[in-house]
Amino acid sequence: MKTELLIVGAGAAGMAAALSAWEAGCRDILLADRRGLPGGILPQCLHKGFGLAGYGTELTGPDYAARLAQRLEKTGVRFALGTEVLEIRGDKTAVLSDRRGLTELCFDRLILAAGCREKSIGSLPVAGTRPAGIFTAGQTQEMMNLHGQDPGKEILILGSGDLGMIMARQFTLAGKHVIALVEKDARCGGMARNFHRCIEPYAIPVLYRTTVTQIHGAGRINGVTLRHLDSGREERIPCDTLVTALGLIPERVLVRKLGEPVWLFLAGNCRRVHDLVDSAVAEAEQVGRSAAIRLDKAL
Amino acid sequence: MQAFDVVVIGGGLLGCFAARNLCRWKLDTALLEAREDVCTGVSRANTAIVYPGFDHKPGTLKAEMCVRANAGFETLCRELDVPFHRCGSLMVSFGEKADAVLKKKYENGHSMGVPGLRLLSGEEALRMEPALAAGVTSALYAPTTGTVNPWELGIAACESAAANGAKLCLNTRALAISRTAEGYRIETGREDFICRAVINCSGLYADRVQELLFPSPVHIAPDAADYLILDKAAENKPVHIIQYEPEDGGKGFNAVPTVEGSLLLGPSERDNETDFAVRADGLSFVRARAERVLPGLDPEDTIRSFAAVRPNPQREDGSSIGSFVIENPGPGFWSLIGIKTPGLTCADELGRYVAEKAAAFLHADANEAFDGHRSGIPKAGRMCWERRNAAIQANPDYGEVICCCEDVTKAEVLEAIRRGAVTLDGVKRRTGTGMGRCQGSRCQEKLLALLAQELGVSEAEVTKDGAGSEILGGGRNEN
Ligand SMILES: Cc1cc2nc3c(=O)[nH]c(=O)nc-3n(C[C@H](O)[C@H](O)[C@H](O)COP(=O)(O)OP(=O)(O)OC[C@H]3O[C@@H](n4cnc5c(N)ncnc54)[C@H](O)[C@@H]3O)c2cc1C
Ligand SMILES: Cc1cc2nc3c(=O)[nH]c(=O)nc-3n(C[C@H](O)[C@H](O)[C@H](O)COP(=O)(O)OP(=O)(O)OC[C@H]3O[C@@H](n4cnc5c(N)ncnc54)[C@H](O)[C@@H]3O)c2cc1C
Repeated sequence: MKTELLIVGAGAAGMAAALSAWEAGCRDILLADRRGLPGGILPQCLHKGFGLAGYGTELTGPDYAARLAQRLEKTGVRFALGTEVLEIRGDKTAVLSDRRGLTELCFDRLILAAGCREKSIGSLPVAGTRPAGIFTAGQTQEMMNLHGQDPGKEILILGSGDLGMIMARQFTLAGKHVIALVEKDARCGGMARNFHRCIEPYAIPVLYRTTVTQIHGAGRINGVTLRHLDSGREERIPCDTLVTALGLIPERVLVRKLGEPVWLFLAGNCRRVHDLVDSAVAEAEQVGRSAAIRLDKAL
Repeated sequence: MQAFDVVVIGGGLLGCFAARNLCRWKLDTALLEAREDVCTGVSRANTAIVYPGFDHKPGTLKAEMCVRANAGFETLCRELDVPFHRCGSLMVSFGEKADAVLKKKYENGHSMGVPGLRLLSGEEALRMEPALAAGVTSALYAPTTGTVNPWELGIAACESAAANGAKLCLNTRALAISRTAEGYRIETGREDFICRAVINCSGLYADRVQELLFPSPVHIAPDAADYLILDKAAENKPVHIIQYEPEDGGKGFNAVPTVEGSLLLGPSERDNETDFAVRADGLSFVRARAERVLPGLDPEDTIRSFAAVRPNPQREDGSSIGSFVIENPGPGFWSLIGIKTPGLTCADELGRYVAEKAAAFLHADANEAFDGHRSGIPKAGRMCWERRNAAIQANPDYGEVICCCEDVTKAEVLEAIRRGAVTLDGVKRRTGTGMGRCQGSRCQEKLLALLAQELGVSEAEVTKDGAGSEILGGGRNEN
């Protein structure tokens, strides 16, 4: 199989890049995503706060994704959902897997819009046991908003990035007790906007210059040891859930061995982490326009 | 009440291999495991090295078994359809004292017939393994050292035992043992087992299980150690297993490129503590060792840390025992007590040894029908593209990737559950889900749904590793 432009990832960035590449004249575009529906992380973001710059109004994640998807429907961009891109090779072929089989696809250009992954607690030198009840913030968001799964009740959040704050609010609204957000720096890790919207109104405590040094509990987590970094004081806090918001890592494993070939473009969170969807989209639109042009014509 | 010829207590590596080897005779065998799954104890957390044997005292059972086991490891792993990498090892030194230790080990190994051993200069070692720190002064190269996934091996042995007629009884803890006219009665709190012979392989509890009926002159004094795992995408990983012999005579250290492609670093040296809880000083120790020996590694590539517990055997006066302890406190009763390194390497040898003893005691006939071949779960990530495509055509679930870090498909997960995984960790041990860089944060919710669906329970009942480790809900812990 062949396609002129392959886009890996149908999140906000992948969809925006596909749209702008189409508008710039590219007529053979395949947009692949492992998920069953387009939008990437957007469908799990039920809060409002998307699209102020792009649409002049604040949409929920699903609404924002739907707008992009509707525009794409009017184009001839082909979707391959439920499709895992397993490998991208230097000879401009990719291997795709879905329930019908493997496909070896030849492409002329490729946009990687694979988003990012959350840093997991395994990467930190945290002592103690390895019990159940430890999740990343984005994971709890997906669990609650897409699968109706309940992560826990007495929740401590490690990290005060945007994801941690957004989930602190959702937990609180869902009747759970957020014990505190624990932040190693002296200030909040996310946007001021999220602090004012998600933390302040609910009087959720934020412990600055503090970190988690130990995890307790045999089956399910039953507490953590906190260390106050300035005083060195440690205290044990009971909890039944630990949610980590330790930061996002651009997901580029698929292309890590390829160097920087001219046919490879990066867009969205896998290029750099964007706080706002509008900025991911604006960047992706530019990338889409560049990738729309055949290499021999561009050079 | 159930009656058997032989009951094996404990479903770790040793118990699984004892049970499998008992099937070589016409013996009704049961394997009792206290937990919900096999290989959740010592066998779950260790260094994963298949040792060549140069470390042991010539003429001892340990030395003999280790050399023989190493030589037969390909055959064993082929039979059990388990990947084994004979990647070779370099034991490295950074100074004269440690150089001398390596020389001794070389001579020791040589006298025992460990094949292919070579003493290398620092430059030779660096040429073979450019990831090593520049100051390396010598290295002992052992081409036959290898690595295997310990629980994959243990689970394979257990499946092979079951296929040959052994009965696996999970959630069955031996609580009391008494003598009967014919042999032994084991009470488990569920039902009683009567048998003519007992093989006690209960790992960290083996001394106490023996003491359910006999005195145990050997006691287990456990201590713990810490490990780190680096992502398979990490740069500057060694190709060989690197073993570090410190100049100050302190604890050695290993870097093991695992069969999964990640890098295992450890163990740490630290104050004794006896549970599977990681210690911060242990992690710092491992990091410092790694930096000393393999300076190109980036700690940022760490994806997990875990602790292991060693079952150190001691005499009543507190002195430690270096050899394998195989107790025979009563007729037809054997205990493997405090089997630590190289217990993984020698699991099949030890299993065969005790099975032979039991078979001789019971005058058992050989089981001509024994078939040692077992087929593992076909892993999509290990298939070439043609085979993988064919697998999807035959079963579309092979086309659906569940764990994107480790490339595990829905078909493998469902097969793991069919073969006995009842927890998230059980699926992980059988398929590799959640072992990669995101540590399960992207696939756990799908696994929860699949486990619930296949086990016919609600998602809230699904656990990480047994009762009390429910993934959802929280609010169950009072303490
Ligand atoms: C929890 C959260 C809340 C946010 N809140 C706001 C907000 O309120 N306002 C705002 O403006 N912005 C917000 N943002 C930021 C913004 O939404 C994101 O930056 C943007 O949506 C990222 O889009 P993306 O397309 O780069 O990545 P993603 O949405 O992550 O899309 C990447 C896609 O690639 C797919 N993929 C990856 N690898 C493969 C592969 N090998 N094969 C197949 N498919 C693959 C993934 O499945 C995924 O669907 C938030 C972000 C998060 C995480
Ligand atoms: C830190 C460390 C590193 C090691 N590294 C290596 C290495 O690199 N190479 C090597 O060759 N070897 C190594 N070993 C040795 C190897 O891991 C062990 O020898 C082996 O795993 C021991 O297996 P086991 O079956 O005795 O124990 P376990 O796996 O602990 O099995 C015992 C089982 O018995 C069950 N049980 C306990 N009590 C009862 C009861 N009353 N009734 C029923 N069931 C019960 C437990 O639940 C458990 O499942 C290492 C060991 C340690 C500790």
